[in-house]
Amino acid sequence: MTGIVRAQGLVKRYDGTLAVAGLDLDVPAGEIFGLVGPNGAGKTTILRILATLLEPTSGDAEIAGASVRRNPNDVRRVIGFMPDVFGVYDDMKVWEYLDFFARCYGIPATRRRQMIGDLLDLLDLGDKRDSYVQGLSKGMQQRLCLAHTLVHDPAVLLLDEPASGLDPRARVELRELLRELQTLGKTILISSHILPELEELCTSVAIVDRGQVLAQGRVAEIEQRLRLGAVLRVRVLGDGDAVEAARRHFAADADVASSALLADGTIELGFRGDDEASARLLSAAVAAGLRVTSFARAASDLEELFLQVTARDVDRAA
Amino acid sequence: MTKRFADAFAGLSAVGAKELRGRMRGRRAFVILTVYLVLLAAFAWMMELILEQRFGRGLAGSATYASASIGRGVFTALMMLETLLVAALAPAFTAGAISLEREKQTLDMLVTTPISSASIVVAKLFSALTYVFILIFASIPLTALVFVFGGVAPDDVVRAYLVLLATAIGLGAVGLFFSALMRRTQAATIATYFGVLFVTLGAYFMFFFWDEMSKSGNGRGIGPIHGRPPEALVWLNPYFAQADIMCAVEDGFGEWCSRVAFVAERQVFGGAAPLPTEAPVGGPAIDPAFPDFAPDVEVVQPFGVVRDSFWPKSVVAWLALAVVLVVASVQLVSPTRRWRLGRRGRARPSRGVAA
Repeated sequence: MTGIVRAQGLVKRYDGTLAVAGLDLDVPAGEIFGLVGPNGAGKTTILRILATLLEPTSGDAEIAGASVRRNPNDVRRVIGFMPDVFGVYDDMKVWEYLDFFARCYGIPATRRRQMIGDLLDLLDLGDKRDSYVQGLSKGMQQRLCLAHTLVHDPAVLLLDEPASGLDPRARVELRELLRELQTLGKTILISSHILPELEELCTSVAIVDRGQVLAQGRVAEIEQRLRLGAVLRVRVLGDGDAVEAARRHFAADADVASSALLADGTIELGFRGDDEASARLLSAAVAAGLRVTSFARAASDLEELFLQVTARDVDRAA
Repeated sequence: MTKRFADAFAGLSAVGAKELRGRMRGRRAFVILTVYLVLLAAFAWMMELILEQRFGRGLAGSATYASASIGRGVFTALMMLETLLVAALAPAFTAGAISLEREKQTLDMLVTTPISSASIVVAKLFSALTYVFILIFASIPLTALVFVFGGVAPDDVVRAYLVLLATAIGLGAVGLFFSALMRRTQAATIATYFGVLFVTLGAYFMFFFWDEMSKSGNGRGIGPIHGRPPEALVWLNPYFAQADIMCAVEDGFGEWCSRVAFVAERQVFGGAAPLPTEAPVGGPAIDPAFPDFAPDVEVVQPFGVVRDSFWPKSVVAWLALAVVLVVASVQLVSPTRRWRLGRRGRARPSRGVAA
């Protein structure tokens, strides 16, 4: 384990209910790491343990080398935590809100003013500096909450469902913002049960269910490791018979597990092979006289991956 | 150690500045302060008129005596009213200090900063009480008007305000504790006022009950209840602490002294200061067996007034209670409590993360 966020054998039990069941985690620095899982999978508990808000029943986790059990204060200095549900203080202006948290981190007054201005610009809240926090829209409050996690320039951000309740435009803006933060060198752990949201954003994921990590790594790697196969989408020129003939041609290949003809004439192939095998499949099709206009591996589908991984786990449990 | 001190200071300064900014913003705080002082001044003026009327109805005595009596009366009335205000306001200001953070879901973000739970709790207590302190201090010039009438010394005023401040801190800590214990501010406020009633009136009722029961059975008492009720039962009653101060300013052994004499384990018939056993230089000799009959020797302690025998205990009791409740509140606020009761609370050894 060499990651900036590491957990080993993490267990959290609430009055007999096992929320986290021996979780191991290894998040390399600089990643946008998604915790994927259904409601109640244990994502929030994991993030709250990492944020030092909950003490693990057993096991330990370290962030930037500091143990959440033994050195919670050191952990707090290197993380910025955004809870899934948060409120804002009444009677407080936007700059005062950030000033308050900056004071909590002991940032001197001479640096606070500049830092607050920079953060408000980064989060596109510069013109709201003197607005009252409770008067901001949900999206702006979400951005402000994200800003508060950044006042002390932490190495790791722990964001629990940061996009929940946001409209599509605000979600896109948040995604752009998180990418920008990644380019600034932050490691971001983000949880969500909305998979397309994470799919576009995360460099790695951990699929969590019933308090355990079922699979962890880059989406393509997980697919490969679990031999779940990829989806190839092929279009050929010709009438219906020609397309059906082409489908039968592809279906005969040993690496093709399944084939289907979609309504728009696209042939969808469940493919077990690697890139070498898909290149060979395309060459054979062209050699066989099929007039291929499009031959592409479908983008990794996190939702599909999640369903397959959790289904395998359910099968194993059965 | 320096780092911990810096963290504690950062926490106190951050939470204190936030709370005061919110509380003192706009005209509201100053309007409340002005209205409070106007009402207090009106009350003092009315008390002065009432007392003046009493003395104007032909009571014997000199104008100086009447003036001093009016001064004492106004001082007593003001202190009792301010004690009532402190008892009502201090818990109200602190009963929402922590629970409101929970209700507004801001506590998690606060406790994931490096500031300690102790800093959060202490800063919350004192920033909530700052407004109460402002109300108390703002009334000092008004109370000082009693010096115009006489009958009250500056050190009496200092004593009365010390009791007020200690009461405010203690009652504020009660509110803070229930605020940390309960999730909802409404429940915390109700529990706080019940708690305040219990430690003040409830404890006094227990004292009264004990006293009555101990007299039954020809003075032998009932069951375990016999003898004098413990004075500690009423240490947390701010009215008895103030009564002790009023006892010192009234002339002779008046109603305030008799109230304190009822609860306090003190010698009310003089003698707190030892009677002189040696003659003053150049004075007549004293027979040690009969010091009271020593000629021309001034008895140091006048009849019925033993100063400072009850209120200091009350101040210490309130401050001790405040410390205990603040420590308990810190434990309740801390996300990973260090002290827990029972076997489940024992800290488990952690095995760390393998590299």
